[in-house]
Amino acid sequence: MLVFLISCFSFILLVSKSFFKPMGGFSNVWFSEELVKFLALWFSKGRNAISFLNSPLMTDHVKSKLENVVEKEEGVSLLDLPDLTLECIFERLPPNGLCNMAAVCNSLREKCTSDHLWEKHMKEKWGELIGSAAYKEWQCYVVSRNKASILEKSRKKKDLYGKFSKIRKLLWNRSKGNEDDSKVGNSSEMSSIMDWYLSLETGKFWFPAQVFNREVQNGQVGFMLSCYDAEVSYDSRTNTFSARYPSYGRRIIEDDIEWNRLRAPTVDTLPYVLHVSDCLDDLKPDDHIEIQWRKSKEFAYGWWYGVVGHSESCSGSKLNCHCHASGKLHNFEVNFVESQKGRRKIQMQG
Amino acid sequence: MSSSTKFLTLKTCDDKKFVLDEAIAVRSQTIKNMVEDDCVSNVIPLPNVNSKTMTKVIEYWKKHSEEGVSKDVLMDFDKAFVKVHHSILHALILAANFLNDKEILDMMCQEVADRIKGKTPEEIRKEFDIKNDFTPEEEEEIRKENAWAFE
Repeated sequence: MLVFLISCFSFILLVSKSFFKPMGGFSNVWFSEELVKFLALWFSKGRNAISFLNSPLMTDHVKSKLENVVEKEEGVSLLDLPDLTLECIFERLPPNGLCNMAAVCNSLREKCTSDHLWEKHMKEKWGELIGSAAYKEWQCYVVSRNKASILEKSRKKKDLYGKFSKIRKLLWNRSKGNEDDSKVGNSSEMSSIMDWYLSLETGKFWFPAQVFNREVQNGQVGFMLSCYDAEVSYDSRTNTFSARYPSYGRRIIEDDIEWNRLRAPTVDTLPYVLHVSDCLDDLKPDDHIEIQWRKSKEFAYGWWYGVVGHSESCSGSKLNCHCHASGKLHNFEVNFVESQKGRRKIQMQG
Repeated sequence: MSSSTKFLTLKTCDDKKFVLDEAIAVRSQTIKNMVEDDCVSNVIPLPNVNSKTMTKVIEYWKKHSEEGVSKDVLMDFDKAFVKVHHSILHALILAANFLNDKEILDMMCQEVADRIKGKTPEEIRKEFDIKNDFTPEEEEEIRKENAWAFE
């Protein structure tokens, strides 16, 4: 007999919302630092402005002076603006504008690749879809990419000894890294939010997410509100995703997935593992739940949405419900929405 | 009503004086603070703003303080107001910064952003007279990374 496990929606919301909190704290630190920087700059720039704008405009020698003024005013370059004002300008740029601005010169590169500017774009476009699992995956991706680029560089040097010593070092680090998760965290500091944004946008980075209603796409219209774990990659040209579903033996890929069919995984449970929920004791009729279900052991679990019904002996009215009278809710029905599965009796073990 | 009108004299860095209705001048938060703190003598010095820039700022303040002027008229005025060479635009930004006039500052920042949007790095350098100081290797690396932005 299948064992069903249940997870409440409120718990799920908590997980998905907690992700961007560390970034918020970071921006506060940034702001105060930047404010100090701005104040310092404001004073120094102010003095500069006096010196080069301090040319007598309205004198008798208008002609010669006018030329002088025009020449001097052209000296007010974009790069002369105070940092905080530049931030105001860069904040109004879309991601590709920021990207192009970062390719203009060194000082603009430094400013336009700042995490503060990209954090907003990241939240706006990817905030809801990127969960903690995707973030962890990104950290691993950065580590392996950095290792690959070090290898590539050492290969170019053609220095045999250097190459082998570096590879040895890498292998040693890798075995260490597997044991110690903090190693991964340190390496992620080498990547910026812009880097992450671009990797998502260009589809180079496949990240864990869940895809709704896979069955509907296969023509099984009766199945609704199911959700399956997958690795997904974005295609900016079509504004859709491709998904790779985990499966023993063969790889299943689905293309042209719209944004509204995706969500961040709501719990950290892997696709082949049963989730241990901590809120089963609190379950009561009319609660919205998701249940893990799979066809057979060869398949990964999917999550199915349902609503807890009343037990057979209960009249089902809110005022006179005695489903909880005998303590825990052990036998109840789950109503799956518009699903072929319809109403199912669920028996909890334990 | 006109009998109670107070006037302020603003002196720019090039020693030009502007006599202005106080109600209009306090669009500048900097001037407003000075007036409220009662530290205004006869003349308010504006050491960071030249007369040419101040003329533009006052033109904006007066238009936006006019009574009964429609939103459409103001929108057309603003559109024409920001159509200046980037050096004047930047001087106006510095002035708005010093005068602490968020309205002008926001409008100008938006204008600069609009001028950046949709341009390649090379076009941006041309528009704003910025020198490319990347090494050829750095540029190649950035070009690869940026391929996405041009799509």
